[in-house]
Amino acid sequence: MHTFLDMSWKTILEYSRYPVAFIAMFAQIFLIVFMFIFATMAFRAPGEGLANHATFAGVMIYGTVTNLLLSFTLWDVGFSIREEQVRGTLESLYLSPARKFANLVSRVFVVLLWTGVMCVFAVLVVAAVVGGLPFDNALLAAVVLGFSISGFLGIGFIFAGLTIKLKESAQLLVNGVQFFFMIFSAQFFPFAALRSISPAIVDYVSAWLPVSYCVDAFRSLLVGLPAGYPELAPLSVEIPIVVAFGIVSPAVGYLIYKRAERSARRKGNLGEY
Amino acid sequence: MEGHSHGFGLASPSWRANLDVVVTVLIARLKVISRYKGSLVMEMFLPVVFAAMPILLGVAVGGANAGQYFQANTGTSNFKLYMLIGACTFSVVSIMLWLVGYWIRREQETGTLESIYLAPARQVYVLTGVTIYSLLRALLAFVVSLVIGSLVFGVNLLEGNVLGAIGILMLGLLPLWGLSMLFGAFIMRVKEANSVINVMTWVVSFLMGVFFPIAMFPPLLQWVAAIFPPTIMNDAMRASMLNLSTFFGSWYISLAVMFAAALTVPLVGYGVFTFTGRSVRRKEGVGQY
Amino acid sequence: MSSIIKVEKLSKTFESKERKKGQRRKLKTVQALKDVSFEIGENEIFGLLGPNGAGKTTLIKCLTTLLLPSSGKAWVNGYSVLDEEDSVRASIGCMLMGDRGLYWKLTGRENLDYFGALYHVPKAVRRDRIDKLADLLHVKDFIDRTVETYSSGQKMLVAFAKSLINDAPILILDEPTVTLDVPTARQLRTIVKELNESGKAILYTTHLMHEAEELCNRVAIMDHGEIIAFGTPSELKASLALDDTLDLEGVFPAKAVEAVRALSGVTQVAMKSKNGGKTSLSIISKSGGTILPQIIEALTHNRATIEQLRPKSATLEDVFIAKTGRTLDVDTRQIVVQRGEPGGGP
Repeated sequence: MHTFLDMSWKTILEYSRYPVAFIAMFAQIFLIVFMFIFATMAFRAPGEGLANHATFAGVMIYGTVTNLLLSFTLWDVGFSIREEQVRGTLESLYLSPARKFANLVSRVFVVLLWTGVMCVFAVLVVAAVVGGLPFDNALLAAVVLGFSISGFLGIGFIFAGLTIKLKESAQLLVNGVQFFFMIFSAQFFPFAALRSISPAIVDYVSAWLPVSYCVDAFRSLLVGLPAGYPELAPLSVEIPIVVAFGIVSPAVGYLIYKRAERSARRKGNLGEY
Repeated sequence: MEGHSHGFGLASPSWRANLDVVVTVLIARLKVISRYKGSLVMEMFLPVVFAAMPILLGVAVGGANAGQYFQANTGTSNFKLYMLIGACTFSVVSIMLWLVGYWIRREQETGTLESIYLAPARQVYVLTGVTIYSLLRALLAFVVSLVIGSLVFGVNLLEGNVLGAIGILMLGLLPLWGLSMLFGAFIMRVKEANSVINVMTWVVSFLMGVFFPIAMFPPLLQWVAAIFPPTIMNDAMRASMLNLSTFFGSWYISLAVMFAAALTVPLVGYGVFTFTGRSVRRKEGVGQY
Repeated sequence: MSSIIKVEKLSKTFESKERKKGQRRKLKTVQALKDVSFEIGENEIFGLLGPNGAGKTTLIKCLTTLLLPSSGKAWVNGYSVLDEEDSVRASIGCMLMGDRGLYWKLTGRENLDYFGALYHVPKAVRRDRIDKLADLLHVKDFIDRTVETYSSGQKMLVAFAKSLINDAPILILDEPTVTLDVPTARQLRTIVKELNESGKAILYTTHLMHEAEELCNRVAIMDHGEIIAFGTPSELKASLALDDTLDLEGVFPAKAVEAVRALSGVTQVAMKSKNGGKTSLSIISKSGGTILPQIIEALTHNRATIEQLRPKSATLEDVFIAKTGRTLDVDTRQIVVQRGEPGGGP
């Protein structure tokens, strides 16, 4: 616990020395949201106002929330190991008696804090532009989000292990995975759009990704379960999938991470750039 | 004090020696990127992924009438090609900003900047090598992404004036280079360069109207965006390939603005860049990172 | 002997903004170089000795045009560092401290080819020269592998080869042996001597006195941005001829050290911490033999424990200790003159 608090404080202190980065991230979210809003406006029927698309806007922005959480988890948890390698501080960290898991968990805590604020900001921006967003089933949606985050962290742990092995290629892989989920877990648009391109993509790719169910369940609940939502499966199926993902993923992820770490220590390439 | 004539390069280097610098810098960079094949491949696919998102958003919003609604708002029903051009043009802009604007900071990060400054080769020739390399990468990414995107989204690239679009792209690269130099000067001053560049990249894509016509902006923002060279380039390329009218209403005006930008922006950019470099060297030295 | 490097009253001041919690932002001025003047002759190995923070690297950077001085002048190979930068750069081969100046994804050979082009070395000559340098520095085994696979010693050797690629008349080496193992460092020093014998002038900075004594024709000792001693190693050591040096190891409480300092005849006392709570003491005195019993009494009376005692002949470090009262391995802070925010008062 002591290690966790120390390391969390160290991470917060590090981040606080980059105020420009902090502001830049908010500015980035603001711009991305506005770009998507303007892009959407280009497809409105003539004379139609944005308020007619409140549900759609909700689907988009709540899906974006899952994207933000997944992205930050991949980068700040998964890729943080690579950053330590590059900086040359990874070996020093391993030489310290502090528990490595505490290191990871402390990062998680700070990243979630940071990302949570970012998500709230993004939702508020869209709500302001559209003139209000649906916000139903908040408690159940929060539970779904909690298990989803846990599942995402498992993916982050897997990447933390992979970066020890892959080094420079890890960045590429993280980028690739990020984009893969963006499209195939339909984080920015309804699955219906993907289905209109090709139903096979949804049935044979999206439907096999636990992340898709996290996205679908979370946003469907918040927009009030209108007709056609959730899109992949009934809620009674999606929620157990999300819960199972949230429990199994971090356990598997942590095991993979430990294995990769042990292998690197055996081969002696922990500090290798 | 008398000089001593030992070694090479004490006399002014010949044009061959300067050309050698340009070619060596170019080849070295090509060698380096060839050892990062994954990054190159990612660069080709990224614009397609970026274009996919507003396309899918549009399909979700407009449904079967997506093309029709899009035409009412932009003048063309071919929203897939519209987004693809925007995304590919943006990738050119982004590559130039990162590779040219950021090159000094990247050399600082890798610890090679001081070694470059220690050599008598004029920075302008090293920069020329970097620029040619960046152009090659940008153009390769543009062409390949456009082709991949056309296959993925099922659009016909040859419907419009492709040659005209390429000509506009070439003309637009000059002010883009100048902007990269301004960018680079800014980066030399700023400590948290990565974050700033990430935001600037999104600001640029926003002002360019990558996924929408800038006519949708409020009036003041429209004009701010319209005098931004990458915006004019993007707008003119779309106009060429999709048979649209340009933001300025007339081809001549668009081309005139682009020519004016091509003449002035590179000079201003390079001037600011070299002035900033000298100022940084006076205060801190070039190795500081 | 004509001068190939001439430095006249060179100064460099750095300014930075310092913000302490609860206080107004202050402009902090650090004077890294103060009116440094010296000349280096052709075919000379000139040493620059001093602790970390003395200003050696700042001086090197001014001479190599990486940094513009605040005032003063310097000429390298007859060219002004202020106005004739390209010619200065063409006249020197340089290896900076902890040189990271290699591209990791290029091989050693590709790196040397790249930098050779930046020095305007013709392509055919470059190829030949790289092969010769690979032989000279025994790097043939790994020169065609990418730099990312090198050990730190291998990187330093290729960085050294980089400094030789243009066969310049002047070589500037800033702590070149700092990450090398003992045999490789010895090999590098042998090569430095051979290069000097072939006609190169070498400016060599180090904080290892034995290197300076082994290699250098003349040495300038720097501290706090100034040259505090200047001459051949023998001249500098001879300047301490009237003084004897006594080295002791043990445990020396502060009171004991003060008692020794207070003895008449003791010129300087410098302490250096070692592992396990022990300290080594260097005592410079006018007549070590006569004063020795008083030194021992002063120490033991104040509860010091002497484990080893040995007189030694003067070294360059002793010269430094005599001038400054510190050893060479102590990090020095630069002179700081604090001013308030401009326009904000003192």
